[in-house]
Amino acid sequence: MPELSPAIEVQNLRKLYGSKAAVDGLTFSVPRRCFFGFLGPNGAGKTTTIKMLMGLAPPSSGAIQLLGLSMPEHALEIKRLIGLVPDESLLFDHLTGGEFVEFVGRIYGLERPVARERSAELLELFELAGDRKKLIAEYSKGMRKRVAMAAALIHRPQLFLMDEPFEGVDAVGARLMKDILLEQVRRGATIFLTSHVLEVVERLCDRVAIINEGRLVLEGSMAELRGASETLEDAFVRALGVERTAETLDWL
Amino acid sequence: MRNFYPRAGIAWTAIVGLLWYGLWTVAAVATARVLSDPDNIALMNKALPGALQLMFLYWQVVPLLMAATGASLELRKLQAYPIPVSQLFAIEVMLRVTAGIEMLLVLIGIAAGVLLNPRLPHSGALAVVPYILFNLFLAVGVRDVVARILARKRIREAAFLLLVICAGLPQFLLTRGSSIDGRFRKLFTGDSWSGWPWTATANLVRGHDTLRAAALILAWTAAAAVFGRWQFRRTLSFDAQAAGAGSSRPGSRQGWVERFYRLPSVLIRDPLGALIEKEIRSLTRSPRFRLVFLMGFTFGLVVWLPMALGRSGATNSFLGTNYLTVVSVYSLLLLSEVCFWNSFGFDRSATQIYFLAPVPFSRVLIGKNLSAVFFILIEISVVTAVCALLRLPLNAQRLAEAYTVAGVVTIFLLSAGNLLSIHQARGVNPTASFRSSAAGRVQSMLFLIYPIAFLPAGLAYLARYAFDTQTAFFAVLAVDAVIGLIVYRIALESAVEAAERLKEKMVASLSLGDGPITG
Repeated sequence: MPELSPAIEVQNLRKLYGSKAAVDGLTFSVPRRCFFGFLGPNGAGKTTTIKMLMGLAPPSSGAIQLLGLSMPEHALEIKRLIGLVPDESLLFDHLTGGEFVEFVGRIYGLERPVARERSAELLELFELAGDRKKLIAEYSKGMRKRVAMAAALIHRPQLFLMDEPFEGVDAVGARLMKDILLEQVRRGATIFLTSHVLEVVERLCDRVAIINEGRLVLEGSMAELRGASETLEDAFVRALGVERTAETLDWL
Repeated sequence: MRNFYPRAGIAWTAIVGLLWYGLWTVAAVATARVLSDPDNIALMNKALPGALQLMFLYWQVVPLLMAATGASLELRKLQAYPIPVSQLFAIEVMLRVTAGIEMLLVLIGIAAGVLLNPRLPHSGALAVVPYILFNLFLAVGVRDVVARILARKRIREAAFLLLVICAGLPQFLLTRGSSIDGRFRKLFTGDSWSGWPWTATANLVRGHDTLRAAALILAWTAAAAVFGRWQFRRTLSFDAQAAGAGSSRPGSRQGWVERFYRLPSVLIRDPLGALIEKEIRSLTRSPRFRLVFLMGFTFGLVVWLPMALGRSGATNSFLGTNYLTVVSVYSLLLLSEVCFWNSFGFDRSATQIYFLAPVPFSRVLIGKNLSAVFFILIEISVVTAVCALLRLPLNAQRLAEAYTVAGVVTIFLLSAGNLLSIHQARGVNPTASFRSSAAGRVQSMLFLIYPIAFLPAGLAYLARYAFDTQTAFFAVLAVDAVIGLIVYRIALESAVEAAERLKEKMVASLSLGDGPITG
């Protein structure tokens, strides 16, 4: 595997649903050891892009390389190296949190005792140890996100693909998750995440890309995007060109 | 049925519906013809109350036994809106038609026959109206009571077992000689008590004691309406989540339960071992699976055993000599709903993990299939144990026959199931005990699939009949098994290829939630 290749390299990526392009000629690159924020308004194509990166949705055209390996030719090798937190739940409701994390470890190639030990440690780390015997069906939304992230970490991936990982998580849980993710970047991992919460992205990410209607409208480091006095929200709204005041309805 | 191939799904549903309801329409026309003949009055006097009672049982009991009660309102979602309870109740009553469309057709046939018969009063045709209403109101109440009982996890299985035994008792009494047999048989003839709703309806249809019969059926209908509405209101204020909480928690996990879960992964290496273990853990904790598993052997025994034993307990008939095989195959067919036809239904959106993880999809399907085989083996073993407890004649040959026939049928069912699980994937709520499709349609699908899956085993029986030897029987079964494995391999490869192509749509279809009406 070429060591110096970017963690993610996307060339002219397109995804068509009928005649509508959800993603339209997307090209960007994510360097290794980077915390990368992928932003856009609702329906911009963020989830479709991340699904294509995960291998869940085949692109209509274009090329994807993850960790120097091209998709889908090296899909199985790539899958072993990445950790995933998709938007839709990938949790089995009738397993306990501990059983699920252990199951993920085992299908990612860990020996059972190793998977079991790491599962217990991860639940401890994510403050779920007290609920390890609870079925996931009984977990709150925030707990589900935490267990999904614990499962994504169990095989020590080099690249994380996360779709709205902090959605529904309370402030304490979100802080915990952010600290863990920052530690992963310090360890050498790369994180690619989508989020609607711009403050989170602003605080965590080194680089940001903004897409709208399936096209890249802005990409750069956080400093480049914000300029001297702007917040990320200002930059975001300016990039999309949708600044408008709230309207009121007469009857409302 | 919701799936991501709407046209194929609609075509399949239409074919099944056309065949099934076409059959019942023919039955309705035949009923109309028989009843329209003035010479058949004596036959009608004798058979009509019993026929109406059987319709009542079909409408009220069969949906519960099949755990398929037709379309129903999703009250949890609708309660947030300002809709009056009376309107919700009225819609629910109308939806109960979906649990007994077959009976509605036959009752229309009865009404048409009465109208065409010159010796019967035309007003008798109207008698079917209160009888239909009575059944609809009662079906609402019964469904709600049973649904609430089945939502309580600790008593769900025991309650269902009791229900099956109660439902099986009439057949047992009818087929076995007993002192109360005669009295029981009277219930199905014209001699039964005139106060029953079916007898009152029959009297009204025939114009006998019209005023009393009309008063009786109206009183029954009013009572059913009060009962239905009362139960509906109780369901509205019922917290299913609270009722089911706690018991699903495997906190007090005993060592032997954990050993049971881990059994396959002791024998099979990961990732296959992990996949099978996950499947066993998930399925055994799913109320829907547990109910169908329980239904598999109890319903199979209740339906087939009395028939196999006959009135004298003789075991010389085909059913008598092959009861173990028949019950095993029937159990297998019932279990197929949760094990074969929609393997990813309970996983819903979590199915995507199989596409994201570094595991070949063929392993995932094989893992699902091996877990299904694991449960089928347990199911047939339970059937065998119950037969042994009842001191029914068992020998090595019968056991070998039951297991090999079930094995061959399983291979063909798994082959078809893998393809259907990809092409007709749809999310299923594992905590809902009742299926929202109608019981009749489920049965019709089983009966359509049954001959195809059973054909290879049927050839083995033909060989035994033709050559009058067990060797021929088992030789054909061995050939069937080899052909089955080739078919399985081809179907598996095709399913894997289709899954890779359709994974996006498949996950989307499995992730869909229910609307305001489930059905």
